[in-house]
Parts: sequence; structure tokens; C-alpha cells
Amino acid sequence: MLVLSPALVTFGGSRWEHVTLVSIDRSAERVALEWTDAGAHPTLADVPEQRVTVRVVQRVERDDLNAPRPGDAGELVLYTSPGGGDAGRRKVSAPAVVTHVEHDVTLRRGAQRVIRLVAVSADGAADPVTVSDAGGGEA
Amino acid sequence: MSSSYGGVDLFGSGPHRFHEVKHGLFTVTEFALGIMQSGTVSLGVAELEVVVTGRLVAGSEAALWALRDAITARVVHPPVRQTLIDHHGRQWTDMSFLRFEPADRTDRGRVLSLRYAATFRRFRAI
Repeated sequence: MLVLSPALVTFGGSRWEHVTLVSIDRSAERVALEWTDAGAHPTLADVPEQRVTVRVVQRVERDDLNAPRPGDAGELVLYTSPGGGDAGRRKVSAPAVVTHVEHDVTLRRGAQRVIRLVAVSADGAADPVTVSDAGGGEA
Repeated sequence: MSSSYGGVDLFGSGPHRFHEVKHGLFTVTEFALGIMQSGTVSLGVAELEVVVTGRLVAGSEAALWALRDAITARVVHPPVRQTLIDHHGRQWTDMSFLRFEPADRTDRGRVLSLRYAATFRRFRAI
């Protein structure tokens, strides 16, 4: 899932400004693969453990001494802005924990901060990422 | 064809494989027999063991426990001799169910599944 220039991003109630990109990636943490004595190909493939990783890219325009820290936990909420207006706007939310905070300065992009988070499920079974219709009243 | 032990398909809920552990002589050191020498003595042909490794697959916790319970109910004392048959019809007669070892976790993905190893032994005498 990729959201370019979201209209609003908050984490634990704090607003994250100038976010240019949010990506939500899913990967198998462990794959169950089984073969039989019948042949060369697996007959069972399942993913009993998976990880949802969120990457937030933020443009930094001035000194900022209040970057999030690894271990910080909160509800990450973002609103898409598909056409710059409210039509079709979606809300994406996930309880998440910060794992990496990195800064980078280049001539082409200027200063940017990359925040990586791991999305956390409430009970282990429910998908941690919720996507809903934001209507026109948010953000 | 499905595999079986004692005519019952115990492992058919999921993929599983068969292998024989060893063929050979059972030896002990002369030192263990009180002989102050460095050699070994053969006591006879080692008992045959066949191991079934695989994964039980079920749609619910209760169904998975039912599969486990059906298997562990076959581990009895004194051991009974029954025939173990693999997918290709290979038969091992007079095998006793020695041990069922489930993995350290139940995997909960699209299905519920549990890896295991089940060991059968042909006891020389019961």
C-alpha cells in the first residue's frame, strides 16, 4: 500500500508535518512449506507469522529536536488525498511502534526524515491496518 | 494411496513423509562390559525405527486437538505391534508407536497446522 502526499498524518495524537510518502509493506516472517513423498513440489504453503512495516518519509524544513524515538507507540493515522479534495478520501490507521528514525540530506531532495514502524495487532489475529471511508469531515 | 498405522489413517490431514532411521549393529564398548580394552562388542542387529514427519492440518483448534488426541491415543504400554504403511504401499510389520513429538508451536495462518515427528520401533521383544 502506497500513499503519496497524504493530507494528514498523526501518530499518538501528534501531527507529523510535510509527509511526502507513506508505504505499508507486508512480508512473511515465517513460511510453512511442506513436501510429501509423492514428488518435487510443496503441497502446503502457509504464512503463520507475518510483519506489517510502515515507512513514513517526511520533509524537514527547519531544525527539529523532537523526532520520534524507537519504542514510541501510538496510533498512526493518515488520510489520503486522491484528488486534492474530499471525494474518495480514505482513512488508514494502525497501532504501531517506531523502530527506526533516520535523517538524510541531499542536494536534490533537501533534508528528509524516514520513520519506520511495525504495525501491531490488537489480538494477534486481526489485521493491524484498518482502511475506512473518511468522508468529507476529517482533516 | 493414504498411509496408515494399524489400518488407521492417522497423518492424512496434512503432508507427511517416512524415513528409516538406521540399519546396523548395536555395539557397546568393551570397557562398559568391564573389559579393560578399547574395542567394541556387537550385541546384535539394532532395532528398526521408522519416523514419520509432517504437519497436521485443521480448520479449528478443536479439530487440531482431535487429530493430536487420535495419534497420542495410539502410544500405549505395553506396546502393541501393528503394521505401518507409507504412501507407496511399503509395509513395516510389527511396529510399535514409540513417540509423538509435536513442534513447539501451533501455526495459525490460513489454516491451523502443527509440525510433528512420530517414531515407530520394531522391538526385538515386548
